[in-house]
Amino acid sequence: MRNKILFRAGAILILLIIAGVMMIVGRGHTIYFDNKTLEYNGESYSTIRRINVLVNGEQVAKLSKKERGMATCMGQSFSFDLEVIREKDAEPEPYHFDLSLPYGMDGIIVNLPGIMAGVPQEAWMSEFIPAPPTETEEDELPTDEFDMGGEV
Amino acid sequence: MNKQSSGKKALNFLGANSVPIMFIVIIAVCIPIVGFSPTFLLNEIVTRLSRNAFLILSLLIPIMAGMGLNFGMTLGAMAAEIALIFTSDWQIWGIPGIVLAMIISIPISAVLGLLCGKILNAAKGREMITSYIISFFMNGVYQLVVLYMMGSVIPILHNNIKLPRGYGVRSSVDLTRIRKSLDNLLAINIGGVRIPMATILIIVLMCLVIVWFRRTKLGQDMRAVGQDMEVARAAGIDVERTRLISIVISTVLAGLGMVIYLQNMGDMATYSSHSQIGMFCIAALLVGGASVDKASIGNVFLGVILFHTMFILAPAAGAKITGNEVIGEYFRVFVSYGVITVALIMYETKKRREKAGIGQQLAAAQREGGVTRA
Repeated sequence: MRNKILFRAGAILILLIIAGVMMIVGRGHTIYFDNKTLEYNGESYSTIRRINVLVNGEQVAKLSKKERGMATCMGQSFSFDLEVIREKDAEPEPYHFDLSLPYGMDGIIVNLPGIMAGVPQEAWMSEFIPAPPTETEEDELPTDEFDMGGEV
Repeated sequence: MNKQSSGKKALNFLGANSVPIMFIVIIAVCIPIVGFSPTFLLNEIVTRLSRNAFLILSLLIPIMAGMGLNFGMTLGAMAAEIALIFTSDWQIWGIPGIVLAMIISIPISAVLGLLCGKILNAAKGREMITSYIISFFMNGVYQLVVLYMMGSVIPILHNNIKLPRGYGVRSSVDLTRIRKSLDNLLAINIGGVRIPMATILIIVLMCLVIVWFRRTKLGQDMRAVGQDMEVARAAGIDVERTRLISIVISTVLAGLGMVIYLQNMGDMATYSSHSQIGMFCIAALLVGGASVDKASIGNVFLGVILFHTMFILAPAAGAKITGNEVIGEYFRVFVSYGVITVALIMYETKKRREKAGIGQQLAAAQREGGVTRA
């Protein structure tokens, strides 16, 4: 009887641990890359002519001045590379960044001129808050029919 | 003599497999009319097989325990939907999202299965109609929870999940972030046919578990209960507990199967997915040649292939024959309900014949006894 209880408690504990791990490794974030001027402590970090954003070696955004790109990621850490072109026909300057993402933020805005200038994280990282939905129409109300139509 | 017996055998075979044979004939007629390429057809069948097989496998255990077709599997489906609403709201994506949804669905399914099993134990002999009505009842409870409590009592953070009024869940939940995550894992391409290996491996594993389970003490007990409850009770088996466990296992498996199903669809009809799925799964199992009291893993696979091939072909065949695709849709709906009805009638007829046979044997024995006494 004691073994039975221990076995059940163990099984529940294992499931809880797996669930906890899944919640961390599967947490999805959308990262927005801003090539926009950042004002911080009276200093101004201005936009850059062209920034290419690469995630896992794949280009996810090609940003001119005042543009925004995005990428999605799972987990609490995120790495990306930048190819920065400051002048026309100039050689791209490579940058690499490793970010630790806040669990509570779905959308995270990263200001690229700010992160490249090395200012503190609170200056270049902010939460993306989507605009509240404007639609007013109600969804179709549910029925109690056991319908056989539809896709399976 | 030999000829006569082989003819009888053939007739018996046709009688026992009339439903699958009918479907094979329909499909054989429809395929040339529709003119789909074999690659397209195979791709569709493999997709639907991987999507539905696990759910249908969940129906086997209650049949083994003599409880018939578990219409209460929709309870597991509801648990899976609740779990997926949470994982979507918590933004858990990909395979971790699927695993988490499965883990969350387990306790909900188990509690619902326990409730369903208790009620079914109180309604012995009327399990199917009772489980069908329980699924309607629980559908009401589900609507209360999802439509009124989520967002007001149960926290839901994201506006794309909540109704515009601020509480309740929208009629459709977007599962794009987990869509086909499992199917794309280890997927291979053979001759243009995409095979979702991870999903198929899970289904194969489930089949092996069922085969193993049948040989365990509990599995043997279930078979004994399924054959004759009174004999099983006399043999010292706790009939009620065994039946309860079979329903709990079935409901939990249905929950896991529903997560696999919805990850493939990538979209969840919050208020109707679960109700449709019970009917489809039961119809597919019956099309595969199963009956209310007997079903095997082979019936599951044959059923999915035949039922879903008809699903793929019927609208296009309807459009080609009558010029109206809707006719094909009506046809498949009619056949789905029809096959369940026929299976239930056949089961009742068989039961009555058996009872009549026993009655005749008893009467004959009494007559013989009377003659002897005289």
